[in-house]
Amino acid sequence: MPADDHEIITPPNTLKNKVSFSTNGVDLDMLDKAEQIIASLQGNYLEWVVEDLNKLQAHYDRALAEPDNRQQAMADIFHVAHDVKGQGGSFGYHLMTAIGNQLCRFVENLPDCGPAELDVIKLHIDSMRLIIAQRLEGEGGVAGERMMAGLQAVIAKVSKK
Amino acid sequence: MPGYNLDRLNFLVVDDNKHMRALVKTILHALGSKNVVEAADGADAFKELRHFPADIIICDWNMSPLDGLDFVRLVRTGKDSPNPFAAIIMLTGHTEMHRVVEARDAGVHEFLAKPISAKALYSRVRAIIERPRPFIRTATYFGPDRRRRQTDYKGKERRKTTARTEMVPGATPADAGGGLTQAEIEALLNS
Repeated sequence: MPADDHEIITPPNTLKNKVSFSTNGVDLDMLDKAEQIIASLQGNYLEWVVEDLNKLQAHYDRALAEPDNRQQAMADIFHVAHDVKGQGGSFGYHLMTAIGNQLCRFVENLPDCGPAELDVIKLHIDSMRLIIAQRLEGEGGVAGERMMAGLQAVIAKVSKK
Repeated sequence: MPGYNLDRLNFLVVDDNKHMRALVKTILHALGSKNVVEAADGADAFKELRHFPADIIICDWNMSPLDGLDFVRLVRTGKDSPNPFAAIIMLTGHTEMHRVVEARDAGVHEFLAKPISAKALYSRVRAIIERPRPFIRTATYFGPDRRRRQTDYKGKERRKTTARTEMVPGATPADAGGGLTQAEIEALLNS
């Protein structure tokens, strides 16, 4: 087929045959109930995010102990932080998403990881522990704002070096 | 209030994080789905597809060893893909949005930014139900028509007119139209 040629294929619409529209279908009430079910899982979330924070700590400890071999630890930190980022907001912990995201961005842009950079990573992990320990839901109010501002200031300082 | 019944749809959820899989499955069950199968990676998901005819696949981008994009490409163009036409919703972190065009060009139907909510997930499922799209094959692409909306496109028509239409029994013909605009790409990001 020449590069500028295209073929249109219309597959059978199997979804149309399988999906009916009725009073038993998905409506606003069902969506609200689904959101409530997610909210009721918050306790489970708080348990498994502590496991994630423990993993982050373990990867950080490894990076600290092996100054000549930090790349894999950084990749592992990114992977866990990415999961934390992707889940926090679903359970009302938007700060976890924000800080998880910030940690991801910091780690992925690091040309190399020295003591100052490790301190930044540790601060992010400790902040996330505090959020969970103090149940700082949502954006965390004034405390949350101060925490984000503090972390951003530290990143800016390290990035200027 | 009436709405769509999802109880007969087959969903395949692919994510290497078990909590994320559990969350998506919980939402789908709460919305009335009865047939939800999980897979922890792209290779397992592809094996599941052999005996589970998924109507809608919800997959994460960041997985290993096969990442979400590679999995999508396998479903769309893999030699022994059980269903190259399956609808695919890709879960993505916000910072990967700049790569949305890359995922779109792998043949994804819809995107869902994490962290997810029931309403956001349902909006993507609903879009797939209400707006079935024809598939396009070119030398470099196979997947749903990447033009999502009818817009008053005043730019250059990039598609050549040498289109061949392959009709599958029971299907309806597709519309022809203009090319992609920046507004349409932004609609993908912001919907």
